[in-house]
Amino acid sequence: MQFNLKVLSVAISMAMVPSLAVAVADEAADAKIAKLEQQVQALQSQQNASLTDKVKFNGFVSGAYISSDNDVGYNSADSSANFSEDSKVGLQATFDISDSTQAVLQLMMRGEYDWEVEAEWAYLSHRFENGIKLRGGKLRVPLFMYSDYLDVGYAQPFARPPEEVYGAVPFSSYTGAGASYDVDYDDSTLTMQIFGGESTVKSTGTDVSNLMGANVSWTDEIWTLRAVYGQAQLDGSANSEIDVELAPGVITQADYIVLELNDEKGTFAGVGASYDNGEVIAVTELTRVEVDGAYPDTDSGYLTLGYRIKEFTPYVTVAYMKTQDNDERLPLSQAAAVQMVAFNAERMAYSLGLRWDAIDNVAVKFDVTYADDFGDTSGGFSGNSIDTSTGKFTYDDTLIYTVKFDAVF
Amino acid sequence: MNKLLTILVLSLTAVTSANAAVVVIGNPAAADISINDVKKAFLGKGDSSVVVYELEEGNPVRSEFHQAVTGKSDAQLKAFWSKQVFTGKGTPPATVAGASAMKSVIATNPNAIGYIDEADVDATVKVIIKP
Repeated sequence: MQFNLKVLSVAISMAMVPSLAVAVADEAADAKIAKLEQQVQALQSQQNASLTDKVKFNGFVSGAYISSDNDVGYNSADSSANFSEDSKVGLQATFDISDSTQAVLQLMMRGEYDWEVEAEWAYLSHRFENGIKLRGGKLRVPLFMYSDYLDVGYAQPFARPPEEVYGAVPFSSYTGAGASYDVDYDDSTLTMQIFGGESTVKSTGTDVSNLMGANVSWTDEIWTLRAVYGQAQLDGSANSEIDVELAPGVITQADYIVLELNDEKGTFAGVGASYDNGEVIAVTELTRVEVDGAYPDTDSGYLTLGYRIKEFTPYVTVAYMKTQDNDERLPLSQAAAVQMVAFNAERMAYSLGLRWDAIDNVAVKFDVTYADDFGDTSGGFSGNSIDTSTGKFTYDDTLIYTVKFDAVF
Repeated sequence: MNKLLTILVLSLTAVTSANAAVVVIGNPAAADISINDVKKAFLGKGDSSVVVYELEEGNPVRSEFHQAVTGKSDAQLKAFWSKQVFTGKGTPPATVAGASAMKSVIATNPNAIGYIDEADVDATVKVIIKP
């Protein structure tokens, strides 16, 4: 036993020396291998990234419930529940053709149009050495602050951009080209953009040609200031479904051609500003739309104020719109009377809402909007007909409830 | 005595790591850049040769970094990138799972910048700015 133990201890000590050395060597090798492994992993993830970078898929979904206390038709709401109007799905594929050239395809399906698939963006863009970015194809008309992501509810504070302002232009995309240029300052960026092309008004088929314009915006990521000008020629008919009393007791209810536009010139001018310091949100836009002849010239504007409290953002919006050329539609003829009824419009709208960033990528929004001050007009609603017993419009206000979820993925 | 010392050292370490702040890191070979350039890079603007890496969403160091540098909360940042993505203006930076993954991608690319907790900094990367 003694001997054995001795031998054992010698054997152990003999074994220990090289094994210690091996252990030290092992440790160094392990560290080296670990480092190499890390590097391989990093390289691999870079390579994978560069492959997956060539094509990217993104999407957004909005589901909305809208209801109103009457059938005047604010944002197509009526007294029964409406799940279609503001519900939409957008799928986008971005292909990087080279470092400076890409193709973007955004397909939209809207409940409002029976979920018909339509390309909202479909363009090729190229950034030149001098920094100018050129895009051609189907693009958004960049008239409003939220035009570029009009349907991406997640990127907006409110349940919907104020209808008084955003409803003034009945088309949102054009086929043509645009160029933009960024000037980077120390802590801010100035973006200049020009655009030109053609479009059609989906609801009436009115041709919008020789569309051209420019906008300029400046942002330091807290403040954003923006100005825009655009013009186009409009050709086609402006229809209305409004009830019109042609003579006492004689009412037409059909789809009525209120006005034939014959290459009438339309202009758009707008200014906007927003402030967002992470806590306080303020957004305002003022716009003026003018169209030659009897087609309405409309001034509109809104101010939204919001305050972020963790995942909750309560907001209030005050918005207005008013046609400025009512005197061009004095009821001197039957046509002018019809145009007066169909086109003269004014209203105020007050919204109280709450955005709740419920989970990652999903915001739930609650909104109550009250609109009134229609004056002697329909308020701009085709559902507001003249009550023959009083000779006045049926409704002088409306209340709209919205519950909406907006997701991006 | 030994035990007491261990506890003391441990609690000291705990205090230091609790106080450690987010730092912007780059490759040891990288040139210094300003805090404004870092802000621009993480918002997809400015010099496009700078490659940025983000920690994954939900990582508190990510929130701390953006609070200090871009001034955007998690939800604001999400809204910002959805704006950029759906207007074809840009895509959010690649993300890595944690500090060690961040260090290894930064260590292999001289143009890369990222951010980690100061306590995780080692010799493979260099601290560019403590925002």
